[in-house]
Amino acid sequence: MADGKMRVLIVDDANLVRLYYRQILEEEGFEVEEALNGLEALERLLVSPADALIVDINMPQMDGITFLGALRRQALPLSAIPALVTSTESSADDVAAARAAGANFYHVKPIGREVLARYMAMFCGAPQ
Amino acid sequence: MPLIRSKCDNAAAGVLREEPASLASASPDERWAAARAACDPACISSLGDALALELDARVRQAIFTALARIATPESAGVILPYMRVDDASTRTGALDALRAMPEAARPHLPGLLVDPDADVRILACDLVRDAGGADGPRWLCAMIETEPQANVCAAAVEVLGEIADAAAGPCLSRCAERFPDDPFLRFAIKVVADRVRAETPAPRG
Amino acid sequence: MAESELLDAEEYRRLCDYLYRRTGMAFTEARRYFVERRVEDRMIATGSSSFASYFARLRVNMEGEVEKLINAATVNETYFYREDHQFTCLTSNMLQERLRVKPPGEVLRIWSVPCSTGEEPYSIAIWLLENWPEVDAHDVEIVASDIDTNVLNAARSGIFGKRALMRLSAGLTGKYFTRAGPEHWQILDELRQSVRFTAANIVAQTETRPHGLFDVIFCRNLLIYFDDTSRRIAAENLYESLAPGGYVCLGHAESMSRISPLFEVCRFADAIVYRRPLEAKHG
Ligand SMILES: C[S@@+](CC[C@H](N)C(=O)[O-])C[C@H]1O[C@@H](n2cnc3c(N)ncnc32)[C@H](O)[C@@H]1O
Repeated sequence: MADGKMRVLIVDDANLVRLYYRQILEEEGFEVEEALNGLEALERLLVSPADALIVDINMPQMDGITFLGALRRQALPLSAIPALVTSTESSADDVAAARAAGANFYHVKPIGREVLARYMAMFCGAPQ
Repeated sequence: MPLIRSKCDNAAAGVLREEPASLASASPDERWAAARAACDPACISSLGDALALELDARVRQAIFTALARIATPESAGVILPYMRVDDASTRTGALDALRAMPEAARPHLPGLLVDPDADVRILACDLVRDAGGADGPRWLCAMIETEPQANVCAAAVEVLGEIADAAAGPCLSRCAERFPDDPFLRFAIKVVADRVRAETPAPRG
Repeated sequence: MAESELLDAEEYRRLCDYLYRRTGMAFTEARRYFVERRVEDRMIATGSSSFASYFARLRVNMEGEVEKLINAATVNETYFYREDHQFTCLTSNMLQERLRVKPPGEVLRIWSVPCSTGEEPYSIAIWLLENWPEVDAHDVEIVASDIDTNVLNAARSGIFGKRALMRLSAGLTGKYFTRAGPEHWQILDELRQSVRFTAANIVAQTETRPHGLFDVIFCRNLLIYFDDTSRRIAAENLYESLAPGGYVCLGHAESMSRISPLFEVCRFADAIVYRRPLEAKHG
């Protein structure tokens, strides 16, 4: 919709996680899209790009780290979409791998409403 | 009219060489071919050895497929250690393969659900969705009564949201009481509790 | 049932989630009206009084409900020029890309699998003749395969009824068919000769390999019916049957993202298609 809303693509295979982010982000004035794994996210983004991404690590077919690597190899503007990686994995290895693949931020789940909204506002510029 | 033509020769078949490929070959194409040909239980241990050394994502995928085709608890067992490796894409490959062999993965689930590593328990919850069968809801309900980690409970609740019925209601509320401060878990349990209430099919007849 | 929305937003997303995981069909919000009408039909057919009770039935696949919903949602009936945006993509993008990397003079090979009663491969032949100015400059081979030898025999005979031809203009029907009865038309001999029909099970490597390497494969409306293991095997067989850089096209509701990471997704103006990478990926 051409109403100037910022679009966030949630890339997570967990239905309830997507629902949780969606409710928060819609209340904060974002438009929300969903993908269940990295491959689906790439496909979605090729059709219509997003302004920001929230990316899980463990997902079927293509994990979040491989996805970010593939995204950053795409042409602009896709390659430059800012990404918040959220995961239950808190090991230093995962954080380092996510950063090396192109994550802008890494947040260990759970993530509360205010924190999520703050990250997205930072990525998109605060929505009206 | 057309330059389109029908070829009835078998020239195309000449492209393919027929020689037994080896899982230990230096060529990824040969290893891929060897993995694809190895779909007999006698191959489990050589597939397992190959998996441990394989660096090519495509060949690894073919090895996982071969193990999924064999589909015995033993072939599933060869995959289990790859649920705990550092490389996320290997973990994904392992889980996708286990999802593709639900009956073979099932006997391993009770052990995985009490694994000392919380990350493995989270992945195990996800496997219950496809591989848990009729025991799935009971296993996950038992888990969320005692599981100390909120993120593991959240993974279990996610799957309960798809496989549980109204019987899961009480254990969901007890779990919610144990983690009053986790915003996501509180949300997830509320959604699932509403869902299982609504979805219990009315008795037929 | 009322005209209003059958499912609330969350129910719709859960249904899509389930269908995606189970079949690889990917429906977005834009397809909601279409999907809801199909679900409504299935709810009436199964006597389900609420979405919740229908969904419970679907999830345990009671009386093959998954396949019945797939059939309702994909129109399990093949016809000429079905999903022709992919044929547009074939002539405006995929063949050009293939010609750029192929040695000059090599035959362009196209595979329609499953081809069912032949509408798809004959459509490709007609489309090329009609819409590809370079058709005379290249050799193109069209191979068409299906597991079912009855449909192959029908395909070889090349006789079609009105419904199969509904998307073709009278001009095209007149140009490529002759009347074979009050309600039937037969495709011209030249076209029948231009497609080679073979029996093949896409899940059997021994049956796919002898077909050799293709530049473009149409594999539409088949993988959605498979379980995970069969889908993986089929994807690997498709990969092996493609020349590096070759393309595979799935049905309009199908997404490779649920099936296999072996391919790269490519977006062209008219279609999303998948490509066997030119260089093998490592790591
Ligand atoms: C719905 S039709 C699709 C026809 C056409 N591609 C289209 O989209 O209009 C499905 C076809 O798949 C064939 N089929 C089913 N299993 C198959 C298999 N394992 N290998 C090859 N073909 C198969 C069936 O015989 C049937 O003709």
